[in-house]
Amino acid sequence: MTEIGLGIDLGTSNSCVAVVRDGEIRVLANAYGDAITASVVSFKEDGVITVGNLAKANAIHNPRHTVYSSKRLIGRYYFSPEVKKAQAIYAYEICESENHGINIKVRDELFSLPEIGAMVLREMKSIAESRIGQPVHKAVITVPANFNDNQRQATKDAGRVAGLEVLRILNEPTAAALAYGFGKGLKQKVAVYDLGGGTFDISVLEISTDVFEVLSTCGDTFLGGDDFDDRLIDLLADEFSADHGINLRNDLYALEKLKVAAEGAKNALSFHTEVAIRIPDVIESDGKSLSIERTVTTDEFSRLVNDLIQRTFKVCDEALQQASLVTADLDGVILVGGPTRLPMIRSAVTNYFQQEPQSDVDPDQVVAMGAAIHAAALVNKDRSSFLLDVTPLSLRIGVAGGLAEPVIERNTPVPIEQTRTFTTFQDHQESVKIRVYQGESRRDDENELLGQFEFSGFKKARRGEVEIDISFEINSDGIVNVTAKDRETGEQASTTISLSSGLSDLDMESIIREARTQRIEAVPIDDGGNALEPRPPDPRAQLVMIGVMAQTPGGETVAPAVAAARTINLEERPAMNVSSHFVPDLEMAPDDGPTREEVVILSEDGEILGTSDTKPDLDEVEPSAEDLFESPGSDLSGPLDEDQEKG
Amino acid sequence: MGTDLAPTEIIALAEIVDDLDYFQILHLPRSASIGEVRKAFHFSSRAFHPDANRHLPSEPRCAIEKIARRVTEAYSVLRDPRRNRAYLQRLEAGKGKRMQLAEAQAEAGRQAVEEKGRTPQGRQYYSLAEADTRRRDFAAAARNLQMALTFEPDNELFKAQLKEARDQT
Repeated sequence: MTEIGLGIDLGTSNSCVAVVRDGEIRVLANAYGDAITASVVSFKEDGVITVGNLAKANAIHNPRHTVYSSKRLIGRYYFSPEVKKAQAIYAYEICESENHGINIKVRDELFSLPEIGAMVLREMKSIAESRIGQPVHKAVITVPANFNDNQRQATKDAGRVAGLEVLRILNEPTAAALAYGFGKGLKQKVAVYDLGGGTFDISVLEISTDVFEVLSTCGDTFLGGDDFDDRLIDLLADEFSADHGINLRNDLYALEKLKVAAEGAKNALSFHTEVAIRIPDVIESDGKSLSIERTVTTDEFSRLVNDLIQRTFKVCDEALQQASLVTADLDGVILVGGPTRLPMIRSAVTNYFQQEPQSDVDPDQVVAMGAAIHAAALVNKDRSSFLLDVTPLSLRIGVAGGLAEPVIERNTPVPIEQTRTFTTFQDHQESVKIRVYQGESRRDDENELLGQFEFSGFKKARRGEVEIDISFEINSDGIVNVTAKDRETGEQASTTISLSSGLSDLDMESIIREARTQRIEAVPIDDGGNALEPRPPDPRAQLVMIGVMAQTPGGETVAPAVAAARTINLEERPAMNVSSHFVPDLEMAPDDGPTREEVVILSEDGEILGTSDTKPDLDEVEPSAEDLFESPGSDLSGPLDEDQEKG
Repeated sequence: MGTDLAPTEIIALAEIVDDLDYFQILHLPRSASIGEVRKAFHFSSRAFHPDANRHLPSEPRCAIEKIARRVTEAYSVLRDPRRNRAYLQRLEAGKGKRMQLAEAQAEAGRQAVEEKGRTPQGRQYYSLAEADTRRRDFAAAARNLQMALTFEPDNELFKAQLKEARDQT
């Protein structure tokens, strides 16, 4: 049996898995025939865990026990702003674990973030195994280029918990470039504009036939498609509050409905200039049930999110500058991530780069495809391409005065090793505390702390007399080793930086032993790889729909095909059914007459609750050493420069 | 792909790699252009990148990792014209064969400033010439560059700018 390596794009909102077989890249669809699977995990009362589309459908009935967007939390400290923000808006419970890490609390059980990630990965793995028809143990998993070491380690842990040997943690834009340029014999400079659900990355690469060299990469981990949804949610919630004096954000169920409606409307705006949102029974007040009805146009949406789009171009400026290139030097622009389907983003990108982005690349699948190519290259000896990547963030050492001195600057090619010399801050100092940071700020507290260790055993001397070489080594896996060495005695101490807020080896063992991540309810795929029938009903189709309906010339509304799949089991609190699934069901309209498309919202029993009066025509939509270390009770000192070393 | 060297040869190379200068590591003459540096880096990476040598047993693989780190280090210094010059000066001064990036960058920064004039007068006339050029008054720029060159007759940047200014008039 040949060895197989999967490529898995573990996304904030959706995940995708691909594989290279017989020299061909195949994206493996889930049981519903979809190339992408929701990165959502839902915990049922009976202990069963559902993952993917089924779990996403469950979010609206069971918001407290359904975990979504967990990628925004993985590898972060409890006190980080991102976690605080998530606590304010996510319906599930986030609590502090040991060492300032985070856990998700589901009823009485605590789950670490790598475990949640592992559940999604396990689902992707099982999709792949059903499609390929044999077990798979190895994978390349992608992460945003701007992920720090803690986030990468935690993602790697997730892979291990899911029973995968993680061949490589690969940057998403790099993977996309690999999929774009693989086997084409290109000589090009390209930019990859990657706007995902939760993060934005831009990478600039030079492709010369088989070599993919990353020239620079920059990103914003606080910016993604979710933020676009949030702007719509805010709009709806604020207007509702003004009209009725009720803050929908305080009601978990109402908030979930808003979330689904906002995401659906955003997706519909990729194809239409105007979308009607209607959420009946969004909340009850004084025994009366209240609804939301609102039309959103692309222009209005553009205004809501324009500053977010502009923020991405600031990051692009930085990346181009770091690569010493201007937009005119680029031969191609590749778009990655669902949100880049929005016409307003496409036109803004075209405007910024002064060229049309590549259109033959699927923004949802390209990352998984690139990961699969790299996985195949790593499991086979005959390599047909290879990657020369850079470190996305600077590595620093904390010194006196709350500062962090860089040892390896960002966008330095890896693997690499760099050394800087530091000295003591106090007379007769016996030990130094070496704090390792990652980030772009001169201030230590504005960077991510990767780890710390104590170094002692050097001679006691006056401050500034002890010289300590600190070496950082980044290997091709992006794993960082730090060594401190006394120049005089050769005494040394070293550490491999690993997530201090994450899982110890012991934790890992017990998690793997408990195998909680294996309680996943499987959606069977029994075709062994090709035929997609019979496919189970997509649970999302039973929820309220924001989509397009066809009308016959006579004005008779034709019900969309989703009506067939109405078997939802409304557990817990009955709610209207909402779907973020966009169903452009146009084939039901006769070809000969003019068609009007409408946005409709269905009730749970398929009744059409509302239709919009919009008439967007699909064809006409415009894509529109000083003193270094802290010894107990003392401070430290920065790097010695050349002159001091000589003196 | 990967290296053709035998495991013992890889280990031996890793041991002496610190005695080689960056040009020797990349098999380049000291006069190599930036384009040649990039080509040589790709060529060496094909042989020594750890990804291309995953199948090796652990000892030679560690040795390969070390060689790969030096290859990247050499490339990181030599691919930038100013860092490249700073490194050549270091070699000629016999100050060692490795250069930390922070040091190379600091030296490159110093050179960038020096290019615009090592003397106060040179810098002054050069900045006047820059202002003239922005106004597209190339005759005035040429006069100021001429003055700057009387203080720093060897300044290559001044010479190049003077030629440019004269071509424009």
